[in-house]
Amino acid sequence: MIILKYLLIIFLIATAYLAISFKEELISIIFLSIFSITLTTLYLIHNAPDVALAEAVIGAGLNTAIFMTVISQVREGKSIFREDD
Amino acid sequence: MSKAKNIFKIIILSLLGITLLVHFNKLPLQFEYANSIYHHITNNAVKETGSLNFVTAILYDYRAYDSLGESTIIFGAVSGIVLLLSRKTLPVSSHGLSFIVKRTFGMLTPFIFLFGIYIISHGHLSPGGGFQGGVILGSISIIFSIVYGSEFDYKRYSPTTKTLLETSGALLFIGLGLLGIVMGGNFLVNLKILNSGVGSLISAGSIPFINIGIGFKIGAGLAIIFYSMIQKTFKEEVNL
Repeated sequence: MIILKYLLIIFLIATAYLAISFKEELISIIFLSIFSITLTTLYLIHNAPDVALAEAVIGAGLNTAIFMTVISQVREGKSIFREDD
Repeated sequence: MSKAKNIFKIIILSLLGITLLVHFNKLPLQFEYANSIYHHITNNAVKETGSLNFVTAILYDYRAYDSLGESTIIFGAVSGIVLLLSRKTLPVSSHGLSFIVKRTFGMLTPFIFLFGIYIISHGHLSPGGGFQGGVILGSISIIFSIVYGSEFDYKRYSPTTKTLLETSGALLFIGLGLLGIVMGGNFLVNLKILNSGVGSLISAGSIPFINIGIGFKIGAGLAIIFYSMIQKTFKEEVNL
């Protein structure tokens, strides 16, 4: 369990670094989502299921949707949703 | 120049990390004090509140006033975003995603709703509570907007309904707090009504009702935030 914990912490730092190191915003958002899921597992290992549930729902679910909406609004004409065909 | 700047940043960040590590190691462990709040809560929380989940007992009974402050912050955020982003030309929509995605989410969405309701109503028994369940309920509006197009969201779950749900959740929370004063206690005191034993669904006094109020408030508030952000995304006009 301790080895798993340290592996997850290393993976957490790696995803956090990768999220800020890319120029493309979409890749950064996906890495932030992976970061949140890893953090959820760490919270579960540390016996905090309440915080884990909040992190999974808000960090991995809601933040990704809201960030993607914001980016599709900021970039004119390059929506992630389907354009009218 | 930029390399020197990067080295400077790395030095500052590593100094911050070392400082935090040293001070976290100096923190006393919580079970070293015999009379600490940790011992009081683990020994008396079930007896005093009737809630099996101690986190919910702290959030909605011992520290319910803080939760009121948090939901006020959410209300302020919703008001600010709606004030900045909402426009008069409401119904702009896309066609949504493909047929397969629409049918799959047609089968999945009721279960997501049921899971949100479960998390809210069992907040005092199992992990979860009003905030987490409310966010799950708010994600249904996001599914409607992305998968079926925001016109569907506007028709089925209109902004008026969302505003009504958010306001009624907030009024339920504050009404329970004021009822505590009326029934002879402090603001937001646990009312100890409708108890059918520790561990059953209807127990823990006013904690489940505060959970329901916060759940509706957070869910509707996040749906309003997402809806007012998505409004201008689609260019195509749809006549309702």
